[in-house]
Amino acid sequence: MKPRLAFFDFTGCEGCQLEVLNFEQELLDIISAADIVNFREAMTERSDDYDIAFIDGAITTERDVARIKEIRERAKILVAIGACACIGGINCLKNFYPMEEVLRIVYGESAHYYDTIPARPVDAVVPVDYYVQGCPMTQSEFVKVVKALLTGKKPEIPNYPVCVECKMAGNICVFEKGETCVGPVTRAGCNALCVTNGRTCWGCRGLVDDPNTDSEKEILAKYNLTPEEIIAKFRMFLGYSEVAK
Amino acid sequence: MKYEVITKEDLPPFVNGLLSEIEVVGVKRKDGKFYFDRIESYDELCLDYDVTLIPPKKYLLPPNETLLKFSLGEAIQVEPFIDAAPRIILGVHPYDIKAIELMDAVFSDSNPDANYMERRRNTVIVGVDCRNPSPNAFCPSMGTATTETGFDLMLTDIGEQYVVAIGSEKGEELLKKHARTRQATEADLAQRKAVREEALAKYKLSIKAAVEEIPELLERNYDHPLWEELAAKCLSCGSCTMVCPTCVCFDVQDDVELNLTGGWRFRQWDSCMLQGFAKVATGENFREDRTSRLRHRYFRKGNYMLKRYGKLGCVGCGRCIGACLAEIASPVEAYNRLKEGS
Repeated sequence: MKPRLAFFDFTGCEGCQLEVLNFEQELLDIISAADIVNFREAMTERSDDYDIAFIDGAITTERDVARIKEIRERAKILVAIGACACIGGINCLKNFYPMEEVLRIVYGESAHYYDTIPARPVDAVVPVDYYVQGCPMTQSEFVKVVKALLTGKKPEIPNYPVCVECKMAGNICVFEKGETCVGPVTRAGCNALCVTNGRTCWGCRGLVDDPNTDSEKEILAKYNLTPEEIIAKFRMFLGYSEVAK
Repeated sequence: MKYEVITKEDLPPFVNGLLSEIEVVGVKRKDGKFYFDRIESYDELCLDYDVTLIPPKKYLLPPNETLLKFSLGEAIQVEPFIDAAPRIILGVHPYDIKAIELMDAVFSDSNPDANYMERRRNTVIVGVDCRNPSPNAFCPSMGTATTETGFDLMLTDIGEQYVVAIGSEKGEELLKKHARTRQATEADLAQRKAVREEALAKYKLSIKAAVEEIPELLERNYDHPLWEELAAKCLSCGSCTMVCPTCVCFDVQDDVELNLTGGWRFRQWDSCMLQGFAKVATGENFREDRTSRLRHRYFRKGNYMLKRYGKLGCVGCGRCIGACLAEIASPVEAYNRLKEGS
């Protein structure tokens, strides 16, 4: 029997689910190998009977907490897709303000209708089996995880920094161009997409397993970033991790 | 060795002649840096450069390469896959040629690597002497500032003309077919020697130990506190090894089509500086800590390669020095620290 897939969105832009729809050719292969039974962004039908749940978005309300626990109970396998679900992502920028203030800034006088809690990745609430990192999620890694699920193999997700792929791509280091990035502590797998296209790395794919963030901070300081600027750089996507505290 | 001379005027027709016959990669400019890339005409080519971002290694051992393809089904079929289109690499500096000689030794050893060997057979190397070395280079210390082997042709800019050393029959054939040259005179060769010596004086870095001394210097200092000191700053980002012309390690993985009808086996560059490099199937990691990984790289360059292949694993190009943000990858600094401390 084909595995039954479900997609659920929490707090985020839903861009990662859009990335699934953007697959086109691969999407047809996925559909022929599996049944998609719940995908609000793409179809009307809904089913609570599924094997594999893909989670997009961060956990930011008490309602989210209850809902993700329910999904975890139903799903045999739970996959976090995208920076918000995997590492908290930019949602965690709000964690550095008092929650009352966050509510007031966003909802003004209607603030009392809403609840909010500090943003957190899915695995801060329930166990996650696989991660598809990136903002938006890295498409090729999504395919890799799907293949792993279909074949019963462990997906090979890079545990080395973006620098590896940046060098393979033949890029000039952004530090040499007078800019800075957090690529040296960020998990590769994106083929150094941003740097290859003239930007810098902000760490959307999360930290590698054993990042030398002290050395990275020293280097950023050496390249004239103030302590505040260094923290701000890490807070963009890595606000939930120790490095941004 | 035979030497010819080609004028700078006759060089463009020579290169364009090569281009009419075979793929040519050469050095191009990019934002003040240099890199090897396919050229379509002589005008794109730069022959006076200090060092390229990535060594020409990428044409012999691509960063990512398919090794075989397989189809699944009733009868599983497996086909080896080798992409080895003929190619000229034009403008290779002597240190990179020395590095290719080391790669030749590695990949032809005991169990020859079919993909590498076929690509190597189909690759013509046209070298050029480096007149303006990178500030990070220390080739004279490693004996790699010039070379008399490892190339098909080797150019030396002597002003209005290039002396062309002929290193192989293939090189001679290409030169005869596409270039107007004359035989080099004693005076040309004297000028070639002078140009090479002039370049030697421009290197800024040097190792205080003799090359022959390095393996033993390392062995004596296996437990030196230097390794831990450097490792504390190490990002384990692999940059030093990714840009290294003598780093040849790769990881092999299988991938399948989404419809599970077939797949392919590929390899990609790996690095002993990365945390997972020495991790084996049981989960054991033989070099889990940064210090042992960092030390391993220095030992591989300065000791292990020599023991196994009779050549040092460093050619002094200095790319690692430029690539390391933490400023801890310099063989010059490491060896000199050990030398001073011993």
